[in-house]
Amino acid sequence: MMAGEPDLLYSEFLDDFYAECEEHLKAVRRLLLALEPVAAGSAADPARLDELFRHLHTLKGLSAMVGLRPAEQLAHGMESLLRLLRAGQAILDPLMLDTMMDGAQTLEQIVAAHQARQPLPDPAAILDRLSAWLTPAMPAPAPTRPPPAPVAPVAAAADGLAERVTAARRDGATVWRFQFTPAPELAGRGITVETIRARLQEAGDILSATPRVEPGGQVLFEFLVATRREESSFHGWQDDGLSWAPHEPPPAAAPSPEPGVGSWAPSLSSGVVRVELSRLDDLMRKVGDLVISRARLEGKLRDLEKTMPTAQWRALQEVNTALERQLRDLREGVMRVRLVPIGEVFERMQFAVRDLARERGQRVIMELSGQETEVDKLVVERMADPLLHLVRNAVSHGLEPAEERLARGKPAEGRIWLRAATAGDRVVIEVEDDGRGVDRQAVAERARVLGWLEADGSLDEARILDILCAPGFSTRHEADRASGRGVGMSVVKSAVENLGGALTLYTEPGRGTRFVIQLPLTLAIVDALLVSVGGQTFAVPLPAVQEVLEIAPGEITTVTRGREEIISYRGGVLPLVRLADRFGLEARARRAYHAFVVGAAPQWAGIVVDRILGQQEIVVHAITDPLVQQPGIAGATELGDGRPILILDAGALARIGGTG
Amino acid sequence: MKRILVVDDSPTMRRMVMASLRDLDGVHFDQAGSGLEAIERLALAPAHLVILDLNMPDLHGLDLLQFMRQQAAYRHLPVIVLTTRDDPTSQAAALAAGASVYLTKPYEPQTLAGHVRRLLELE
Repeated sequence: MMAGEPDLLYSEFLDDFYAECEEHLKAVRRLLLALEPVAAGSAADPARLDELFRHLHTLKGLSAMVGLRPAEQLAHGMESLLRLLRAGQAILDPLMLDTMMDGAQTLEQIVAAHQARQPLPDPAAILDRLSAWLTPAMPAPAPTRPPPAPVAPVAAAADGLAERVTAARRDGATVWRFQFTPAPELAGRGITVETIRARLQEAGDILSATPRVEPGGQVLFEFLVATRREESSFHGWQDDGLSWAPHEPPPAAAPSPEPGVGSWAPSLSSGVVRVELSRLDDLMRKVGDLVISRARLEGKLRDLEKTMPTAQWRALQEVNTALERQLRDLREGVMRVRLVPIGEVFERMQFAVRDLARERGQRVIMELSGQETEVDKLVVERMADPLLHLVRNAVSHGLEPAEERLARGKPAEGRIWLRAATAGDRVVIEVEDDGRGVDRQAVAERARVLGWLEADGSLDEARILDILCAPGFSTRHEADRASGRGVGMSVVKSAVENLGGALTLYTEPGRGTRFVIQLPLTLAIVDALLVSVGGQTFAVPLPAVQEVLEIAPGEITTVTRGREEIISYRGGVLPLVRLADRFGLEARARRAYHAFVVGAAPQWAGIVVDRILGQQEIVVHAITDPLVQQPGIAGATELGDGRPILILDAGALARIGGTG
Repeated sequence: MKRILVVDDSPTMRRMVMASLRDLDGVHFDQAGSGLEAIERLALAPAHLVILDLNMPDLHGLDLLQFMRQQAAYRHLPVIVLTTRDDPTSQAAALAAGASVYLTKPYEPQTLAGHVRRLLELE
């Protein structure tokens, strides 16, 4: 089936549709994963089921609007099953949960195929499986709530509110009754029931939310909030239309059962604005232009320094300095907008691992940490597939079968860790397994067969990684479904490097394997070191520079038939790379050379240049045209005087040095 | 100028609803992403018509409808329920709670526009 043409009126909303589907699918994945313990026998949280139901329901509605029939059918099937679960007419078991997870995945594939204008996956198989529970004997969908009965004022008390209040108190929280009275003046300041809800949500757990109308006709909202915070932390909130008091349970006031009300799922609309990435990019480009203009201004100021009265020049210079600082703040602000938590990608991995492990009859425990780590949206998008590949590799190549693990004295279930953390201006993502480790013997043999390794060549971890990541390498029957699809290690490596990051491997036979990905936190504008070689200027991103050295010719030792130069450095050996030789520029003998150190031992290098010119903010323009790409060059920039200069790729240069 | 409050937790759906009514002259749209927000919007800026989704996170559409029918200020406010639920029970419940019109998604834009025109007595 091909993707049909959507209704003309709604086709202009397709991008919105895809973006919103993504959010709902993300939530569906998260909620389904949270149901795993339920399928294993624990009690289901009705609020979670309601939330899941709502997301599927919205997916169904949206799909119907744009005429995406298979997605509508599938969402409807899943929704119907949830309806039964909510009504207690079905019991969640692992098989049902698996079916729902497969359904969520198919739903995602259908939406993705529609977006890519590719043939849509057929949901018939999943619908068949779902229909096993949705027996034809079922009458028309049971009402999920009792027909409305007159109540005054409207009761929006949650099912089992009293129990939740008691439970919260047992956990040591205090329950407060907050009242919010909306007003035009407050709305003008952006304070609405939604922002108040978000504020209270942040302060604790919202147990219920009820609208009320006072005898005078004034509307107000009452929230019961359980929190451990001191009352003093609410200070100042009275100015925002809020009042509060400790909650006393009303004597014998039976809350009417209203499923789904009072359980608070952060709504998609609350306080969040969705912005297209292209608009942010555009904003970033404009900030970039500003940065360049300011650099130009600084150049002109320097020209004026000699001819202008000092006091006046100083005043100008002060304005310039302030401008620089403000631009930096602006730049950071725009970059922050682009940051999203990496947790979303991690959850997707959890899904994939679960599927793959099930397929292979393995038991795998996945441990996530640092999901809240924020990364540039582009990084998240570009890293999704490479991470998926690493995680799949960990399951299919890393983790041994249960019997083998037991025989080695390991627990039967394999473990995979997926971690993220921020370290300075870098983000570190790790994928680790406690499996068999990389088989050095097999890698070496295969590399020799391919002629990539001399007969007596030795293998350290960096070399193993290089070989694993070389296009065309494989040690195993890779028809293996897990690695057969998606991207190979070579793509993982180039994805990381294209983002200005680095990939490192740590592996220990019998103990496990760990891949460490280091990525820049933000992209596009960096502080750079400007260097000059053979009359040409180059920029190198400052975060990649470990140290700047001055080297006298006498310190340099020549090894390997006069082709490799080294110096002793920090108790080790630092290979030197002469940039002039590397790029075929005119080289002059000098009394002293400047060099900067890139990479980390043992894969580091001292890059020798004629002069270090200074430091400046640069706007990075990546060179993506393969005809122009050159190892060692990461991109180009403009320094404010209109001259383009090239940006050095520190990682590639370090490798040139590290491998000789 | 007639004000229409569009209540739906899906921002895309709200945009679609507004787009299907964009040929109407003399209307102004207000939006709410939840039942509570709808009550707030109504209190701050009275509307002449509400287009209401049923399945919403905090306050169910039917509860909102019921709440409105109990307040003198909103007792006669026209409400179009626009929902994906197409079972007769939901429809009966919505009409019993005081919905003026019950439409299911996907709907024909002309049908919705026709109801809005009639309820707001446009033209």
